[in-house]
Amino acid sequence: MSEVILRTVGLKKHFGGVQAVDGVDLEVPRGEFRAIIGPNGAGKTTLFNVITGDLRCDGGRVYFNGHDISRLPPHEISRYGISRTFQITSIFRRLSVLENVQTALLTHRRRHYDLLTPARPLFREEALALLARVGLEQEAARPSGVLSHGDQRRLELAIALASRPQLLMLDEPTAGMAPRERREIMELVARIGEEEGLTLLFTEHDMDIVFRVATRITVLHQGQVIAEGTPEEVRANAEVQRIYLGEHG
Amino acid sequence: MQWREMVGRLPLPLPLVEVRLQLWAVLLGAFLVVIPHFLSTFYVFLLTEMAIVALFAAAFNLLMGYGGMVSFGHAAYFALGAYGAALLVKKAGFPMLPALAAGPFVAAAGALLFGFFIVRLTAVYFAMLSLAFAQIVFTVIFKWYSFTGGDNGLLGIWPAAFLKSPIAYYYFVLAVTALGLAALYAIVSSPFGYALKAIRENPRRARYIGVHVKRHQLWAFVLSGFFSGLAGALFAFFNGSVFPDLAFFNKSFEPLVVVLLGGMHAFSGPLLGAVGFKLLETFVSSRWPVYWPLVMGAILVAVILVAPQGFAGLLARLAWWRKR
Repeated sequence: MSEVILRTVGLKKHFGGVQAVDGVDLEVPRGEFRAIIGPNGAGKTTLFNVITGDLRCDGGRVYFNGHDISRLPPHEISRYGISRTFQITSIFRRLSVLENVQTALLTHRRRHYDLLTPARPLFREEALALLARVGLEQEAARPSGVLSHGDQRRLELAIALASRPQLLMLDEPTAGMAPRERREIMELVARIGEEEGLTLLFTEHDMDIVFRVATRITVLHQGQVIAEGTPEEVRANAEVQRIYLGEHG
Repeated sequence: MQWREMVGRLPLPLPLVEVRLQLWAVLLGAFLVVIPHFLSTFYVFLLTEMAIVALFAAAFNLLMGYGGMVSFGHAAYFALGAYGAALLVKKAGFPMLPALAAGPFVAAAGALLFGFFIVRLTAVYFAMLSLAFAQIVFTVIFKWYSFTGGDNGLLGIWPAAFLKSPIAYYYFVLAVTALGLAALYAIVSSPFGYALKAIRENPRRARYIGVHVKRHQLWAFVLSGFFSGLAGALFAFFNGSVFPDLAFFNKSFEPLVVVLLGGMHAFSGPLLGAVGFKLLETFVSSRWPVYWPLVMGAILVAVILVAPQGFAGLLARLAWWRKR
C-alpha cells in the first residue's frame, strides 16, 4: 500500500441553503490518477476550490502529506506542492507564453520580491524546456492571449507544472475542446503524470477519457460520495448507472 | 502580422508594446543636457516641471500600467513628499539635500499606512478609497495652521546655494529624475515586476502560483508612493513653497491624464505624456485660460478613442508600419 498524499475528512461547504459539498471523505494514495465524476452541480468544482483554499470549508479537514491545509490560502497551499488548472482556462493573457511560465518559475523559487535582477534571462532555459514538454516551444514569444484554446490549455498545464507539484488537480481539462484535441491533451497529462510520478486528481465529463486515464474513480452526487472504486467497479455500480452514466446512454 | 492579431483579439490591445529606448535615451539625454543653454529661463522652468511630472506619472504608472490598480488619490503621496521635505526645512532646520532625501520616505510611510486598507479593495472601490485618503491628507494640511501653515502654505523652501540658478536646479532635477526612472525601470523588469504584471492579468492564477497578492500589491503601492514623494520633494524646492492644493484631487488626476495621453502599457508612456501635457498646459492655458479644461478634455477624448495606447502606442504603430 502506498502512502496517502491527499485526505479529506467530512469536508463541507454550503452556499446559503445549498449543501454543495456535504461531508466528503477522500483518500488519494500517491501516484494515483483519480477521477471525480458526477452530474452538473454535484459539487466537483466546489470540492476543488475548497481543497485548494479558494473557498474556506465550513466543516471537516484537508490533509496533504499529513499537513493540515484546511485553513490555508491558495498561495500557501501551492507551496506545499499542489497545482491546479481551472475549468475556464486561467493564464496571464497579455504576457508572452514564455513570460507566463517564467513568472510561475520565479514565484515558485520565491524570487518575486527581488526588485533588482532583470527577470528576462531568469529560468529561461527551464521555461523553454517546460514549453517543449507541452508542445509550445514554437509559440514562446507570442502573447498568450492569441493562442488557440487548446494551446492555452497546454500553457496552463505548463504553468501548473512549473511549481513542481506532487499533486496536480485538473478541473475539466478538456472542456470546450474538439474530440481529437481532448485525447491529445489527456494523453499528454497522463504521460507527464507517469514520467514525473505525479498524483492526478481530475474532474471530467467525457467518460471515454475518464475510463481510459483514471486508475480509480470517485462519484459525487449532490455533494456526497456515492461510489468509489476502479473504473470497472464504478461502471458496474447500479446506482451510478441510474443517476449518472444513464444520462449519457 | 502578429500585431494585427493582438489588436483584433484582445480586449485591451497592444500587450507588449515597448518603444526601443536605449539609443534614443542616450540621444535624448545629450539633448536635454545641452538644450537649456539655448533657452530662456521660462523654458528651463518648463523642462524642469516636465521632468518632475514625468517622474510622478511614471511612479503612478507602476500601479496603473503594471499593477492594474487605478489610484484617484496619488496627490497624497506627491504632497507628503513635498510637505515632508518642506517641514523638515522649516521646523527642523534641515539643509536642503537631507530634507529632499527624506521626503520620499515620508510619502512611502503614508502609502504603507493608507495602502494597507486600499489594496484590500479592487477596481472602483480601490479608486474611491484612495481618493478618500487623499482628501484626508488635503484636509489635514489645509486645517492644521500651526504645523502646515494651512492655506498660507509654507514659504521660502529654497534649494541649496549651488542649485540656486534655474539651470543648476534643472540639471539636478534631471539627474534625480533619471535615477528615479532607472529605478522604476529596474523594478518593472525585475521578478517583482513580473509578478505584479501577473497579478494585473489574473489575480487568481497569480495566487495559485504562490503569490501573496495583497502583500505584493501593497509593496507596489509603497514603491509608487515613494517615487511620487520624490517628485513632490523636487517640486517643493523648485516652487520655493508648498500649498495644500498639492494634495487636492485636481493634482491626483494629473498623473492619470498624463498616463492616458502617453500610454500606460509602455514604460515610455508617462514620459511622452508628461511632455505633451506640459506643452499643452503651458501654451493653451496661458493663452486661453478659460478654455483650457475644454481643450484638455477634448484632446483626452480624442486620444482615448483614436489611440487608446496613447502616444507610445502611436509611435509603436508608426514603427510597425515602417518596418512592413
